Amino acid sequence: MEPIVYVALGAALAAGIAGAASSFGVGIAGAAAAGAVAEDEKNFRNALVLQGLPMTQSIYGLITLFLIALVSGILGGGFKFAETTTENIIKAAILLGAGLTVGLTGLSAIPQGIIASAGIGAVSKNPKTFTQAIIFAAMAETMAIFGLVGALILIITGVGF
Amino acid sequence: MRKVEVSTITAILDTSLAVIFTWVAYKTGQILWKYTPYSYPNARIRAMEARLFTEQKFNELAESKTLNNFIMNLEDSDYKPYLTSLPVLNSESIDRALDRALADTYELFYRILPKRSREFFKLLLEEWDVRNITSSVKAKLRGEVARDYISEIGTMVEKVKAIADAKSLEEILVILEGTEYEEPYQKLLLKEITPEEFETELYKNHYLKLSKYAATRKDEEKKILQEFVKLKIDKINLSTILRGKAHGLGADKLRDSLIPGGKVKRKTLEALANMEDVEMVLAELDSTEYSGIIREHREEILEDISAFEKAFDRYILQRMAELTRFYPLSIAVPLNYILQKESEIRKLKAVTKLIEDGAKPEIIKRVVGELP
Repeated sequence: MEPIVYVALGAALAAGIAGAASSFGVGIAGAAAAGAVAEDEKNFRNALVLQGLPMTQSIYGLITLFLIALVSGILGGGFKFAETTTENIIKAAILLGAGLTVGLTGLSAIPQGIIASAGIGAVSKNPKTFTQAIIFAAMAETMAIFGLVGALILIITGVGF
Repeated sequence: MRKVEVSTITAILDTSLAVIFTWVAYKTGQILWKYTPYSYPNARIRAMEARLFTEQKFNELAESKTLNNFIMNLEDSDYKPYLTSLPVLNSESIDRALDRALADTYELFYRILPKRSREFFKLLLEEWDVRNITSSVKAKLRGEVARDYISEIGTMVEKVKAIADAKSLEEILVILEGTEYEEPYQKLLLKEITPEEFETELYKNHYLKLSKYAATRKDEEKKILQEFVKLKIDKINLSTILRGKAHGLGADKLRDSLIPGGKVKRKTLEALANMEDVEMVLAELDSTEYSGIIREHREEILEDISAFEKAFDRYILQRMAELTRFYPLSIAVPLNYILQKESEIRKLKAVTKLIEDGAKPEIIKRVVGELP
């Protein structure tokens, strides 16, 4: 494949997988939120906060998409790796790897949604568990943060601006 | 050379992408299939759990003194719609209203649970049919008013009412025609089996259905449902043996009443049935996983076998609560809730009956505290 395909794939997968995972995560937690609110409206505030947690992975994906587009020249100038040389293929592969890292670690939004869903259930039964439920769900976020940091290192050191 | 290098790199990249995506898609699909369907029902059930009555609420209800006050104390509860328009205010009408509330809970679970597991709640509801049919038929055979023995809950409430109102035993056969209960009832009519054997056969068939259903599920659903069904079967079998021994029955009489499919193996059940008395049965049970129940309640069980049933019910509740904590997005949550709801309704029924009988609040509190 041409370098442009790898670069485009890297950008698309970063935002695409992380975004899709976020939507699944928010969906799972949202269904739980609806269940909790159906029984008691007072659960709305707590459920809303927990439901929103899996959304952050899509933001990381979007940041990565912009970075890849920026360093490869898709944004703000001509594409830098148009020629199919080994060097360009390697740089394109690094950008694909960075995108994949964020995309795949962004999948943590799904288990985060599951944890948030169980957390919404626990908070509906006992509102005092709200802080703990947030902490449990936030744990899944760490993997996405690691992925974003890894991708930034790959992009900056492997390709550079 | 350069061309080969480029194609090698792209080949490695393409293969890696294909492998990664296949694995990720499979795993993600598996996770989503497993947990997503339980997200809505379980959060809703957890919110319902928050409204289950505490010991303090039961103490307040015990202080009601009159059934009118009792109803007023339940105004802010889920039972309000069922209790507001009772034609007559007595413990029987309240019992029926509470049964309707329980039936609606089953109905709600059937509606909101995923298709792959909701049928289990329909099967659980059928246990009420078995209870109602056996109670009505036995009452009819004793010449008593069968209506007093039925609960308005189950999958065939109208048929059960018709059975209770039937003028002859043959009329019941017509009502049961086409149902799974027709054949055993026919045997009863032909005197091929006794009323006790009729009851055992109905329960055996029911638990066989539950076991079969649980066995056809997958992963943790199978594990949870099998645990639940096995515990229920063990409770029936062990209390049958204990009651039998308390009445001096031999193994030959007890053997046919035992339901297969529990955790306690047939061989152990056989050994228990062959024991001389209750004390020996309890000693033998000490080597099973129910030793905790036996050690804690030995003296009470020796005095009254119902202490074993109560302790076992508490054990099932405790086991289901454990599974709920371990599998928060699974069928354990609705099962645990329905057990708690049944327990709550059992206690409420006891409170109404005791209030009607003019029992003192202290006695009501003690009785309610002893109930599982």
